[in-house]
Order: sequence, then C-alpha cells, then structure tokens
Amino acid sequence: MDPLSEEQIGKLLRLKKYEQPPPAYFENFLHEFHRRQRDELLREPVWRIALQRTQDFLFRLNIPGLASYPALATALVICAAVISLKVYQTPETVNVAAQNRTPVVATTSLPNSNWSLSNPVTTRDLGPSLVRTVKDSSKTHRVAAPPRYVLDSTPVSYEAAFRF
Amino acid sequence: MEQPRSDEDQQLVARTQAGEAAAFDELVVKYTPRLYGLVYNMTSNHEDTNDLLQDIFSKAYKSIGGFRGKSSFYTWIHSIAVNMTLNFLKKRGRRFHLSLDDMDGSVQNDKEFLELTATTSPVREADLSELQRRLNESMMKLSDEHRAVVTMFHIQGMPHAEISKILKVSEGTVRSRLFYANRQLQNYLDEFRKNPVS
Repeated sequence: MDPLSEEQIGKLLRLKKYEQPPPAYFENFLHEFHRRQRDELLREPVWRIALQRTQDFLFRLNIPGLASYPALATALVICAAVISLKVYQTPETVNVAAQNRTPVVATTSLPNSNWSLSNPVTTRDLGPSLVRTVKDSSKTHRVAAPPRYVLDSTPVSYEAAFRF
Repeated sequence: MEQPRSDEDQQLVARTQAGEAAAFDELVVKYTPRLYGLVYNMTSNHEDTNDLLQDIFSKAYKSIGGFRGKSSFYTWIHSIAVNMTLNFLKKRGRRFHLSLDDMDGSVQNDKEFLELTATTSPVREADLSELQRRLNESMMKLSDEHRAVVTMFHIQGMPHAEISKILKVSEGTVRSRLFYANRQLQNYLDEFRKNPVS
C-alpha cells in the first residue's frame, strides 16, 4: 500500500470545507448575535459602560496608547477630580484675606488736594474716630521710631464728605 | 477561498465606526461562514464554534472604533478569531469531544473528491468517510498552532503571506509549521491505513 502523498493529504483536508452546519444556522446567527448583545448590555455594570465610552472617546482623539491602559485613564480622571476639588476649596481663604486688605488699598486712592510728596500725611480734620485710631496705633511703636499713621479700615466711600 | 473585496469592507467599517450598526450586521453575515470554517476546524466542536463565533464578533464590534485600517478588515477579523480560538483551546486543554458536522451534499461534485475516490486512487469511496474521520482525529493530535496553520492553508486556502500576517509570525515559520504538520498527518493516516482496525 502506497503511503498518502502530501498532495493527497491536502486534497483530503480541502474536502473538510464541505463540513458545514445546516443552512438555517447561518440564517439564525445574526439574530442570536443581536440577542446576546442585548443580554450583555443588560448585565454590564454602569462603570464598565462608562469606561468603554471613555476608551472609545480616547480612540477617536487618536490616543490609542492611553486608551489601551484603562488603569492609567482612571488614575488621570481621579487626579483631575482631586485637583478640581482643591481648586474649589482654596478661593474661600483667598477672598477673606483680600477683604481684610481692601480698605487699606482704598485709602491710598483718597483724593486729597493737600497731599504732596513733602507732606505725605494729611493735615485735614479727619474726624474724631480716625484721630483716636491714629493715637492708639502710635502707642504700639517705640519712641525713637518715626511716627507711623495707620488709617482706619473703613472704606473711604463710607466716610463723611470732606469740608474745605 | 477568495478574499472579499477590501474596499467594500472599508466602507462597511467606516459606516460602523460612524455608528451605523446595520453596517456591522453586513460584515457579520459576510464573514460568518468563513470564520465558522476556521474556528470549527480548530476546535472540531460545533457548540464551541458557535460560542466562540459570537464572542469573536462581539469583541470585533467593541474594538472596531480602534480599527485604523493598517491591515485589511479580513486580516484583522481573522487575527481576532485565531487568537481567541487559541486562547480558548489552551483553557479547554484535552477535554473535548468531536462533534463534527456532516459533509455537505455538494462534495459529490467536487473535483478533488472525484479524484480521490477514482478507481485508480489509493483512497476508495468506501473508506473515504472513515479516512475523513481519522483525519479529524489526526488533526486534533496536532498542536493548536500547527492545526491553525493547516486549517488556514489547506482548508481555507490562504496564502503563506496572509497566514503570517494573521499569526504575526514570519512566512518561514508558517512554512516550517506546515511542513511539520503535514508530516505528522501523513504518519497518523498511514498508520491507520496499515492497521484499519486500530
């Protein structure tokens, strides 16, 4: 008995393409595929759907490298969330400091016709409340030190109009 | 087996990527019989083939957004199919039973079938079905990688270059796997023909 040649084995193998399921199988396959897809969607947790959507989005942005590392993408999202939380919290303290400083800044813009470089401190009658504040404030300094005047923190716009 | 037109596939892929699910359905209908042959001849089990095919198309649908067209859709979907089937076979191990589909009636008109069953041929029609059964058993004795190459080359009629792209190995590796697999099949079948009762 002659051994089977490689060619004959090839022919035998090619006959295997006739091993096919019944034609109805291919007709139903698509229907079955749709049914399984729906089932999968129903069973899938929300976070996974969200992750897949993020990956798809990154792919559309042509960042496949990043999208192929879901852990990295998740880490970036968490970092962004933490940073944004910090940013929202920080302005509260900044605003308080700014509010404290505001009156001092406002006094520098006081329109004063008697003001000059040789006499930078006003000699006008600033009213009893402001005078008292200046005296109290001057006690905090040493005698040798030149006198420093601290203006009241009340905004200028709230003071009574000056009389000339 | 001829490769489908890739420009037609490209259009269907582009439509799917644009969100038209019906375009992907067309790809499923087009590639199911071809991929069925590939997966079925690697697993030799109809139920496993059916489950795997569903998973393959499901994975393809989920990943099609990332398909950039560097290879043809034909190569891409075959790569998914082969890789998923090889992974499945690794998990399944040797626990399987052959549930082979019957040969289609059109085999009677096949030129090669007629040649094989001709009176001058060493293979007679009477023992052809038995030989086919033995061939299937012999196929399952091959390693998964060798079976994949035999299936793609002999049964699906793919050229070496296409197989090397799908498996991401060199053409030389494809040829050497094919040579080794053919030798093994030859040995198994000759053994059967010498001792048909074994």
